[in-house]
Amino acid sequence: MKYMLMMNTPRGGDYQVMSWPKKDLEAHIAFMIGFAKKLGAAGELVGAEGLASPSQAKLVRAGDGGKPVTDGVFPETKEFLAGYWVVQVDSAERAYRIAAEASAAPGVGGAPLNMGIEVREVMSGPPKEQDA
Amino acid sequence: MKYMLMMNTPRDGYAKYLSWPKQLIAANTDFMHAFARKLAGAGELVSAMGLASPVQAKLVRAGDDGQPVTDGVFPETKEFLAGYWIVQVENAARAYEIAAEASTAPGMGDSPLVIEVREVMSAPP
Repeated sequence: MKYMLMMNTPRGGDYQVMSWPKKDLEAHIAFMIGFAKKLGAAGELVGAEGLASPSQAKLVRAGDGGKPVTDGVFPETKEFLAGYWVVQVDSAERAYRIAAEASAAPGVGGAPLNMGIEVREVMSGPPKEQDA
Repeated sequence: MKYMLMMNTPRDGYAKYLSWPKQLIAANTDFMHAFARKLAGAGELVSAMGLASPVQAKLVRAGDDGQPVTDGVFPETKEFLAGYWIVQVENAARAYEIAAEASTAPGMGDSPLVIEVREVMSAPP
C-alpha cells in the first residue's frame, strides 16, 4: 500500500524555517536528508519533494479560449503543502510510524517539532463507492 | 523547473464526485488518463497520483516516547489534496497552461475545478 505523508503549514505559520538560527536550520535539513536516505535504503520511499514558499502559489483555471487565468488570493485559513513523502508499506500502522518519525524532526534549539503530518492513502485507480 | 499541480477538495468532495452520473465519471476518468498520457508523451510529466478519500485521512505526530499519536479531526475549512501532477517545464507560464488544461476536466459545472500551482524546490531552502 502506498501512503502520502504531508507536511502542511499555514502561510506565516510554525514551519518558518528561514527565520530559524542557521545551526538549527542545518540540523533540520540534515535530519530530513538522513530520514529520506533511511527510507530509501529500507525500500519504503517512492518519492519525496519540498515545495517553494506559498508566497509564490497560484490558483489556475481555464478562462475563455482555454487560456490560463491565475489568481494568488487564498483564504486566510488555507494550509499550504510544505513537502511530502510517498511511501510503500505493508500497513497504515507502518505509515503512521514513519509519520511520527518525521513529526519529531528537530526545530529551534534542536527540540522535536512534533508537527502534525497528514497521512493519506494513495489510490491505484479512480475513487469507488466504498471510498467516500 | 518543476511544478506541482494540485487538485484540492473539501471533505465531502469525494462523496459528491461519486454521486455524479456514471457517464460523467467515466468522461472525467477518460480525460484524466488521456491528460496524463499526453503530458508523459511530451516528456513533461514527472509523476502523478490520486489520493484516497479524506474520510480516511489521519493527522499523526510523535508522542512523548516517539510513538505515533493519530487523530482524524480536521478543521471544517480544511481542503484536502485529491490528486496532483508534477511537471518538468521551462517556466511558470507553461505550468499555468497545463493547469488550465487540467481545470477543463469534465464535471457537473457547479464548482469549477481550480488548480493550485506550486514550484517544487530542487534543494533545501
